[in-house]
Amino acid sequence: MKKKTILYFAICLILLSLPLITSGFLVRLMTHIFMFIVVSSALNIIAGYAGYAAFGNMMFFGLGAYTTAICMERVGIPFVFSMMLGGFVAVIAAVLFGTLFLRLRGHYFALASLGAAEAVRSIVDNLTELTGGGQGMTISSLDVNPAISNSIFYFAMLLLAVVTVTFVWWLSRSRLGYGLMAIRADEEAASVMGIYTTRSKVIAWSLSALFTGLAGGLYAFWFSYIDPPTVFDVMWVVDMFVIILIGGMGTVIGPVIGAVILEAISEVVWSNFIELHLGILGIIIILSVLFMPKGVVMLARNSKNIGDFLHGIKINREISV
Amino acid sequence: MLLQSIVNGILLGAIYGTIGIGFSLVWGVMNIINVAHGGFIIIGAYLSFAMFNQIGIDPFLSMPIVMLIMFLIGFLIQKTILNYVIRGSVFLTLTLTFGLQILIYNVCLVIWGADYRSIKLAYSAHSFLFGDIVIPSVRLGVFGVAILLTLLFYLFMQKTKTGIAISATALNLEGAKTVGVDVGNIYALTFGISAALAGAAGSMISPIMSFNPFLGNPLIAKAFIIAVLGGLGGTGGALVGGLVLGLVETVGTIYISARYQELLAFSVFILILVVRPQGIIGKRFY
Repeated sequence: MKKKTILYFAICLILLSLPLITSGFLVRLMTHIFMFIVVSSALNIIAGYAGYAAFGNMMFFGLGAYTTAICMERVGIPFVFSMMLGGFVAVIAAVLFGTLFLRLRGHYFALASLGAAEAVRSIVDNLTELTGGGQGMTISSLDVNPAISNSIFYFAMLLLAVVTVTFVWWLSRSRLGYGLMAIRADEEAASVMGIYTTRSKVIAWSLSALFTGLAGGLYAFWFSYIDPPTVFDVMWVVDMFVIILIGGMGTVIGPVIGAVILEAISEVVWSNFIELHLGILGIIIILSVLFMPKGVVMLARNSKNIGDFLHGIKINREISV
Repeated sequence: MLLQSIVNGILLGAIYGTIGIGFSLVWGVMNIINVAHGGFIIIGAYLSFAMFNQIGIDPFLSMPIVMLIMFLIGFLIQKTILNYVIRGSVFLTLTLTFGLQILIYNVCLVIWGADYRSIKLAYSAHSFLFGDIVIPSVRLGVFGVAILLTLLFYLFMQKTKTGIAISATALNLEGAKTVGVDVGNIYALTFGISAALAGAAGSMISPIMSFNPFLGNPLIAKAFIIAVLGGLGGTGGALVGGLVLGLVETVGTIYISARYQELLAFSVFILILVVRPQGIIGKRFY
């Protein structure tokens, strides 16, 4: 226990002092990782805990980014409030679409949410006066030198990641969290036990939307340029799913570990074999689904040493048709 | 103008039907949404293109070879990869086929590059005239092949032992096992047939559209729409779904400005999913 405390303390210290020791590349990479921790943890609420494959979650990211940009550039609202409005708009979208879609099961929900995300992208693309359409929007960046601005976004994203992970941790042991896990295990049974299933799922998706929207808002200010193909890209949601699959669905720490692993691999692949980037990502997806469908966290939790770990992989392979 | 659009829509819709049949077969029988279906179509198109370019085989003649290759690829993928996760959750299969899709995309990009390719046949310019209506002979040929494949597939599912075993597995897994159906093999055959149909669709596309690896994503979006329109109710549903999509795409351009077409398509898609998830025809299984 003593050792663990020291380890956690060391990690905190390194995270807090990183922008002071180094700058540039590493700080930006870490900010990226924090952002993926936020959006993947948010997806984990609906996908990992409630068991609904929300393949349209990038719509909240895009809505958050665009709301923030429009509020800052067209209305002149300060960033923090704009970002909160971004989260709010994402929640409204989740409530609207959720009431319609969350009665659908399995693939039908996945497809409906994907279709909704494409429809929202198309609307944003067509509201040219407000959003600039396909030309995108430029957001005036912070008026400080790049090193300081990098550190500011590093700490902002770190804060958002800590808040999100803490929230998911709280959720996982709350009444709502247990309700969601019951829905994942058996929806009929959960309903019989007195859980309002549709309402719980809509709340779960709205919470997911809130954090994804906030991350989108922060992304818009950080990158200071957004356009529909970038912020509504389906690859966002694929990355999120891969992260929670690698880390472990329905665990608090899974998305954190998954984000670190995937982004570190992506970084290495990007810088060395840029033209093979997607192919290698594809192979990673196939292998991780095949050999550890429950994620690193679950495998590690159930195995004391490397032998157990490999045995766990073998058992997963043997449960076939 | 309207009549011409309707004819174009029907000609296009038959190809969409072929795409839809393969896609909804896998969905209906194994409950897998195969996102890599778009990638299979692209591989089929490139295989036809390669055979035409290297040894000058007409895409109509290379289609059986393409279908055989794609059948083997599909069979092996199901046997070595998908059969291991088929009882897993929706995420596992969906994410896995997405991984497959981006792998295929990347491989095609490395081999053939991002340039648009197309096959220009000696008789590409030839067309039939019926009054004001122009029907290019290549498109008519593709239409005929698509209808023929649909018919053959229908007969295969109804009349052969394997086809009936596939339906049985879809309807009642335990029952099928009890009467001695080798489920693992049936799944591999099903996926192989689906991939072969995707390959055939690719061969059909190669002489009438220009394509590159990026085309996989819009094609998979179309496959979603066809499957949802037609439901998972067998050959007829997918053909109807394909024809409806073809007609909406061609006739729609007359009435709706291009910028709102995408929005309209996705709105209809969502509406049907919410109101009638079993599709327009709404019969379950084959």
